[in-house]
Amino acid sequence: MTFRLSTRRKIITVGVVFFAIALLLVELYPIAITLLNGFRRDIVILSGQKFALSQFTTASYLLVFKNRQMMKAMGNSIIVGLLSTALSVGVGAMAAYGITRFRFRGRNALAYSFLVFRMLPQMSLVVALYLLFRTLGLRDTIAGITLAHSSFNVPYVIWMLIPFFAAVDKSYEEAAMVDGCTRWTVFRLVFLPLVAPGLVVAAVFAFINSWNEFLYALILTGVNARTAPVAISSLIGGDTLTWGQMCAASTIMLTPVFIFTLAMQRFLIRGIAAGGVKG
Amino acid sequence: MKGAGGHGSPVPFLLPALLIVFAVLIFPIVFSLVVSMFDWPLSAGGGERHFIGAGNYVDLVKDKEFWNSLKLQLGFIFIAIPLELLLGLAAALLLNREFTGGRVIRALILLPVFFLPVVSGMTWRFMLQPRYGALNNFLLAMGAPEITWLGSPTFAYVAVIVQDIWRMWPFVFMLLYAGLAGIPTDVLEAAEIDGASFWRRLFSVILPLLYPTIMTAVLLRIIDALRIFSEVYVMTEGGPGMSTTLFSLYTHRQAFGYMKVGMASAMAIFLLVISIVFAVTLVRKNMSLEKLEERGGDR
Repeated sequence: MTFRLSTRRKIITVGVVFFAIALLLVELYPIAITLLNGFRRDIVILSGQKFALSQFTTASYLLVFKNRQMMKAMGNSIIVGLLSTALSVGVGAMAAYGITRFRFRGRNALAYSFLVFRMLPQMSLVVALYLLFRTLGLRDTIAGITLAHSSFNVPYVIWMLIPFFAAVDKSYEEAAMVDGCTRWTVFRLVFLPLVAPGLVVAAVFAFINSWNEFLYALILTGVNARTAPVAISSLIGGDTLTWGQMCAASTIMLTPVFIFTLAMQRFLIRGIAAGGVKG
Repeated sequence: MKGAGGHGSPVPFLLPALLIVFAVLIFPIVFSLVVSMFDWPLSAGGGERHFIGAGNYVDLVKDKEFWNSLKLQLGFIFIAIPLELLLGLAAALLLNREFTGGRVIRALILLPVFFLPVVSGMTWRFMLQPRYGALNNFLLAMGAPEITWLGSPTFAYVAVIVQDIWRMWPFVFMLLYAGLAGIPTDVLEAAEIDGASFWRRLFSVILPLLYPTIMTAVLLRIIDALRIFSEVYVMTEGGPGMSTTLFSLYTHRQAFGYMKVGMASAMAIFLLVISIVFAVTLVRKNMSLEKLEERGGDR
């Protein structure tokens, strides 16, 4: 009986592996197409030729690197990503500490509203932000788009960090308080080192959120503060069909995201459940 | 938990986050509500604004395109999400076992979730091109006629949905897979040794235990699907005609195409209310602060 059960299991496992590989092929095909076409010329792509090693060229990458607007947009993406990550992790860590290590009225309500804020559609906010930024002179500035990105990153980071702060044993802070430390010192010298792994995870996902963001960048920026997703989308349209450049630029954008995701397997579920995927 | 958490004021720690939330979330929402009650044209000089109360909302109800976008949006949600759930569940059940390369396969299956939405939209647009697109190359090789997929209202709508299923079913899979891993194996094995058939085990053991995870996945997907914009915008720009103008795309068109900021704000408020209803349901059901705090920092 046990023998038969285990043989049956083996057969099922073989079936499962084939099924999994078939799924993988379907899921990875569009990604592979993007990666491969970055190394082909537009003429080759547009003529619908089959893939061949002889078509290999880095011409599209060179065009991307020579494309001033694209380079500026990628630089902006890095700057906005870093600024909005720093802002939201700094502010979010303080708030997560405030929520988990103090008891006060409205604590639950506050935590819940941060969770709800994280899930609001950007389209509901962007029209108002556009009018406000235009009035305040923040439209098409790095400061403006950074601030807009913190509208989803601050609640996101708070949500990510609450479990990390809650997990710290209270004896640590009690000991520090007995020694006469202020809450601020306890936060800085006791908690921040202890939740450092959480800060790294939150920072990585916050950066990816900002890196991938499209709608705010489309509406709230122009030639100066435009980020890479908008620049990539403008490579195709009307008579310009620079698919090679589009794929090369996309590959450049995807590389850090894929490296981070594969490196952070353990935290993926929380990361994506927390709204890490932005429309 | 009390004791140490008792004294001192949390205000200094909460204030910076509250200020940002006020500036970029609460204030814009209130401002949207105000704008939605005006006839407010979008022009550089400001244009002439008139207070019209609920006028924009009345106009929306009378607007055929508004109902069309709502219908497309609901269709998108009701077609894409059940299919994503089905695929995710099937894959989670099948891959919930140890085999060589299992970890690698699970990690790779998740990659589309992290494909930039914009790049995903562009790639699908590329694959569906006539002449050089991958799908048509495949059909031509099979002897089938060539189709301008994104030029047809029906195919374009289907393509938008397929793109979403392709990108997001692994997300559902990952949640359900984690949920399945949380079910004690002896419960599953007991049912198997008792000789219960696969379907019997599925419906009377696995699905009831997995129900909370399924609800979380569905709510997260609904909240996410309600705000879909960038993939569709770069894939079809809402066209051909209005055939893929989902809710957010129509809001965008009202504001920056027709220059009617008041109407767009009324739509924004409408979408906001619906999203808040789902978000509050999700948060109250599955994301109590106690649960979050219990989970500890390791996950």
